[in-house]
Amino acid sequence: MTETTRRRTELTASLSHEMRNALACIHQFGNILVDGLAGELTGEQREYLGIMLENASKIRRALDSALDGNDGPPKELANKSERVSKLET
Amino acid sequence: MDSRKILIVDDNADIRLGMHLRLKANQYETFFAADALSGVTEAQKHRPDLIILDLGLPAGDGFTVMERLKQIPLLAAIPIIVVSARNGLGNQKRAHEAGAKAFLQKPVNDAELLAVIRQALGEPAGTKKPSPYDQGSV
Repeated sequence: MTETTRRRTELTASLSHEMRNALACIHQFGNILVDGLAGELTGEQREYLGIMLENASKIRRALDSALDGNDGPPKELANKSERVSKLET
Repeated sequence: MDSRKILIVDDNADIRLGMHLRLKANQYETFFAADALSGVTEAQKHRPDLIILDLGLPAGDGFTVMERLKQIPLLAAIPIIVVSARNGLGNQKRAHEAGAKAFLQKPVNDAELLAVIRQALGEPAGTKKPSPYDQGSV
């Protein structure tokens, strides 16, 4: 691996990590609001929050396909079990 | 029946708060640690029923925490769910080899996290309906 490739791989992994943590917070608190854990929302508030969360999901999907897969096959070839491994049975 | 105790080890305060709110709403009692060292000391202090563990931590990492917990007989059997923003394949395999019950990549789907927690604790499946916008990691 060339130095340039190594640096690019590290940068991509770091960017993915930072974006995933930020997205995790957006999803967590957005869903906390949607589920009424911080009080009931009006219909309009719920609609706007839904738009926000749907767009956060779009970013996540773009992240999955564009940035990840540095230590394995491309995500389009991967199934769900790569990202969420189930409990051992 | 007493609430089951869950230790959340994550260096991101927002993540800790978000998980706390979600778990509290599902009748779990939560404790927190923000680095690897305090992850072990808080586990010793509270003897949680389950640990949610991030991998990227100050003062070590999640693998260090799992290694240390395995060396403490009273804590060695506590189920651990790894929730990390790191890339999946290599870390997932390593987490399972270190004894983690499950590996979830952030952002995490709340319903899936709760299902994994309940399964790890031997509780019946919950009835919480997933939010229509809860599309975290699935």
